[in-house]
Amino acid sequence: MTPTATSLTDRARREWFLLRFSWHMQDFPQKQYRQIKRDLRRELTTAGADVGMRQAVTDLGHPWTLAEGYAAELGRRVPRWTTGIVAAALAVGLIIYLSLAYALGTNDTLEAMGGGTVTTYPFGAETIFTNTADEISLQTSPSPAGFAFVVGSALVAFILGSRLWRAFR
Amino acid sequence: MLVLLLLTEGESYGYELVTRLQADGLTDIAAGTVYPVLARLEREGHVSSRLVASSSGPARKYYRPTADGAAELATALRGWDHLSDTVRAVLDRAATPKEQ
Repeated sequence: MTPTATSLTDRARREWFLLRFSWHMQDFPQKQYRQIKRDLRRELTTAGADVGMRQAVTDLGHPWTLAEGYAAELGRRVPRWTTGIVAAALAVGLIIYLSLAYALGTNDTLEAMGGGTVTTYPFGAETIFTNTADEISLQTSPSPAGFAFVVGSALVAFILGSRLWRAFR
Repeated sequence: MLVLLLLTEGESYGYELVTRLQADGLTDIAAGTVYPVLARLEREGHVSSRLVASSSGPARKYYRPTADGAAELATALRGWDHLSDTVRAVLDRAATPKEQ
């Protein structure tokens, strides 16, 4: 007797669950995660043959809860690299947003005061704002302090977001 | 402890083990609870596994306790007995009316 083939719908249902599960397992030790995913795919296929894939997937609960179960059984807390990267990107994004807000605010102030040119030094970077009838411009150059501020902010956000200290326990 | 105990009674694949636990009274237990436990037991060397071809689907991964698993089970059972005795003693004392 040949084994029953898994239908296309069931395979799609299984793989969709595994895809969502893998999203929540991104920070899990990769070697162990690959083994877990292999086992889980096999168990889902097996259970699917017994009770139907819909029920097999339902029995596993939410992928996030299942991932938390595996993390709990790991016996130690692992760094959350993905969260760290997202936090660092958000920190850099926030700095870019605030810089733009600062530039637009300065330009509006300059315009309200009748126009002209003003030079400021945010983080030591000479920045020239010009708002005249002929020209609206901003000239700046990178500064070590500005660079250190951006990199430092991203680094702090990454360390806090990823719980980096867990890697050294 | 129960997972190791049931696997000592007879090897099982994951989903079958879940149904055995449910049949034994743990009706609320889900596959999502048992699989992580099996993964840990295998990682720690308390259970071993083998693939068995099935006529009704893919090969199934059967688990059975190792010698380490048997030792772990014995330790867990002793711990459970101790806890059970302690709880029983406290309950009995609480149920006995105090002398005036």
